[in-house]
Amino acid sequence: MLTTLASWGLIKLELTRALRNRKFLFFSVLYPSLLFLLIAGSASTTEKIDGTGLTLPTYMMVSMASFGALTAVLMGNSERIAKERESGWVRQLRLTTLPGRGYVLAKTASAAVVSLPSIVIVFVVAALVKDVRLDAWQWLALTGAIWAGSLVFAALGVAIGYLASGDAVRPVTMIVYFGLSMLGGLWMPTTTFPQWLQDIARWLPTHAYASLGRAIEQSHAPHTTDLLVLAVSFALFAGGAAWLYRKDTLKA
Amino acid sequence: MTTTAVTTTPVVGFERVGKSYGNVRAVDGLTLALHPGETVALLGPNGAGKSTTLDLLLGLKQPDTGTVRVLGTSPREAIVAGRVGAMLQSGGLMDEVTVAELVRLACSLHPRPYPVSEVLARAGVTRIADRKVDKLSGGQAQRVRFALATAGDSDLIVLDEPTTGMDVTTRQAFWATMREQADHGRTVLFATHYLEEADAVADRVLVLHRGRLLADGTAAEIKAKAGARRISFDLPDAPIDEDRLRGLPFLATLDVSGRTVRIQSTDADATVHALYGLGLYPRNLEVAGLGLEQAFMTITAAEEAKSTC
Repeated sequence: MLTTLASWGLIKLELTRALRNRKFLFFSVLYPSLLFLLIAGSASTTEKIDGTGLTLPTYMMVSMASFGALTAVLMGNSERIAKERESGWVRQLRLTTLPGRGYVLAKTASAAVVSLPSIVIVFVVAALVKDVRLDAWQWLALTGAIWAGSLVFAALGVAIGYLASGDAVRPVTMIVYFGLSMLGGLWMPTTTFPQWLQDIARWLPTHAYASLGRAIEQSHAPHTTDLLVLAVSFALFAGGAAWLYRKDTLKA
Repeated sequence: MTTTAVTTTPVVGFERVGKSYGNVRAVDGLTLALHPGETVALLGPNGAGKSTTLDLLLGLKQPDTGTVRVLGTSPREAIVAGRVGAMLQSGGLMDEVTVAELVRLACSLHPRPYPVSEVLARAGVTRIADRKVDKLSGGQAQRVRFALATAGDSDLIVLDEPTTGMDVTTRQAFWATMREQADHGRTVLFATHYLEEADAVADRVLVLHRGRLLADGTAAEIKAKAGARRISFDLPDAPIDEDRLRGLPFLATLDVSGRTVRIQSTDADATVHALYGLGLYPRNLEVAGLGLEQAFMTITAAEEAKSTC
């Protein structure tokens, strides 16, 4: 609780900064919607994708909302943390009353604030342009699930930020980001993949993440496997981030 | 009763503190105590352990052996209580925000903050308050770091090479501000490689070498400890016989260039007396005390010589 209070000033400043950074805003807030229009733009609004009972726009809406949230939290955390570790800002902050985890908390919180509009804008575009219709509870549950699920990737971003540094952080982030997005089926349904790739994709947290959203669209209960994959991923990423953070603190 | 406890608690207490990196002993059994209201300069050649000492003092590093106490608690506790303001050379700044925004953050994190406008004014950054942090010159960035270190009411201010990158005028203004802080009873500890700053500002000088405390005293005492005085003269008449000069008593160093002889002597009176005794007729004879810089070099060179023997 005290951590949250102390972090508040930093969260506000991180947000001010994020909202000022047009490039970051474009890629995390507008880009997913544009990509949605590009992929689903000419698709039929009534034809169903095999085995899902969902139209392509409905299917891609969840993918792109997940992709947008992933972009905001992963990019927002990893590169910034690596850069600020290097510049010595993290060190400078350790000379204030702010506890070290307050820094990570502020980073994640501000990334989460940016990820919310990126999810909502994809929904609005999908509903207006491609006539995606869901019940009110489904819209709310989707927003909540995708937003909460993005914490898994926020933790991954923190871990990468403390693992890689300097020139390495961008390529590492990009590989993880594109790898998870593509193989997890955020850009195209994994059903188009060869079988062996589908077998791998099934275990990726991004696949479970989008699958969670789709279950809500289909009014199904979420698959236990997906929840399990997300829970285990979160434990792994958060544990790794905590370990790397502690190591970095001792070294600095 | 409590007052005695407060006055006897040192602001900073190092007790046989050791810290190694691999085989290198960066800090080697360091024991020292700083007292309230002191302005202390930490001097030492590169690699003397200054940065490590400050890191240990601020809890950024943990000692391998010994204990570090700040205001009677652990360094981290003292920082969380807002009793320490620090400015590190390696301390970066958050970019893409303005100077004022950053200072506001520092104030919001301090338990006893000063008004933002006051902090900006004291650090001399009011005019650049709306500028982005990543657009600042080196000297300006230093002043912003100083603003962050003095965002609230602290008992101890730690500064690592604070005037690096500042021009002469800014540097003077900076030290005037710093003296004001000390006059308010704060303890100020700064590391510097500008020895004239230590001479002019500090009322106590610590000389660190190879992680150990070589000297601890006022600037005058450090100069006296170096013991030496400078003697210089010309010998225009006779060829200079260096071996004979080297035989002079109390001689510390001898330097002959052309017809000019420069000597450092631990007893200048005796050396000059013996000089005439050699039958020489020195012209333009000057005897002067050492500056802090030379005293510092003498002390560390003597230590260096001892450790290589």
